[in-house]
Amino acid sequence: MKWKRSDLQQYVQAKEYIDTILLPLVPIQLSNDEETDKYSAQAEVMSILANGIEKELTGRTMLLPNYNYLKTVDITTEVQRLNNWTVDMQQQPFAHITYITFDSRWKKEEKGLIGNLLWMPAVQTGEIHSKEMQRIIRDQVGQTVELIRSYWN
Amino acid sequence: MSDEKQQVSRRQFLNYTLTGVGGFMAAGLLISPIRMAIDPVLKGSSGGDLANVGLSVDDITADPQRIDWSVDQVDGWYESEVSRSAWVYKNDNDEIVAFSPVCKHLGCIVSWEGSEQHPNEYFCPCHDGRYYKDGTNVPGTPPLAPLDVYEQEVKDGMLFLGDVIPQGEA
Repeated sequence: MKWKRSDLQQYVQAKEYIDTILLPLVPIQLSNDEETDKYSAQAEVMSILANGIEKELTGRTMLLPNYNYLKTVDITTEVQRLNNWTVDMQQQPFAHITYITFDSRWKKEEKGLIGNLLWMPAVQTGEIHSKEMQRIIRDQVGQTVELIRSYWN
Repeated sequence: MSDEKQQVSRRQFLNYTLTGVGGFMAAGLLISPIRMAIDPVLKGSSGGDLANVGLSVDDITADPQRIDWSVDQVDGWYESEVSRSAWVYKNDNDEIVAFSPVCKHLGCIVSWEGSEQHPNEYFCPCHDGRYYKDGTNVPGTPPLAPLDVYEQEVKDGMLFLGDVIPQGEA
């Protein structure tokens, strides 16, 4: 499910079945020209990846809008903000809160986070819509789905 | 001046001309609303377009296999490429059956023999929904209807799939 009115209406009816949050953590920054290319590309890949996972697991997973933050900011200050988001989500019966990100800096702060962090290295080979890239992303979706399912059992 | 030349009087001529011009104007004004009113009739049916899924009929076996393909979907002005998947197999009567992999419970993607505890069944990873090989939901599991079936056609030995057809409650 996504952050859409129709999905949320369905969610409220079927709360007991949807117990997993998927929250992409996506850094943004505009001050440095070279970096904008890298981070915008990563954000695009993350969007395809997150939507792919959501499609496979629609009936049990809620994909939230991105958690955006400034790339240049000290990540430790973001931990509290992210935890505030999570505390709000936990007002509902979500047993599994999963963050997904390409930003390795979160990995070091993992202990302070309430939810589960899935960090994966960003892969970039040429065009995002190239056959090669699509295959890689599909593969990543499959493996991530497996991982999320392992938390359910 | 002969009588014949005076058959159309000035008054009559003006009447004809005004009626004619008025008629054209009225027709011009009416054509848009009428077209709009019958628009659904003018529009060609977008359903029923079958897409080649790139699978030869000879490669379809009794074991369900997953195929993925994409179709162009036009939604108002927005045209997008949508990826679709299906589970395809040949049943006991040698008929090709293509199931939509979308679970009838809450829409997760089911897979054939997706759980080792339940061989020979479709399995939904989200809430352990199960379906028999013919798509019927296993009673006692969350789904309440059998899997949707794709509209299908075989042309030149290739499989073409269209829209999904719900199978109703079971």
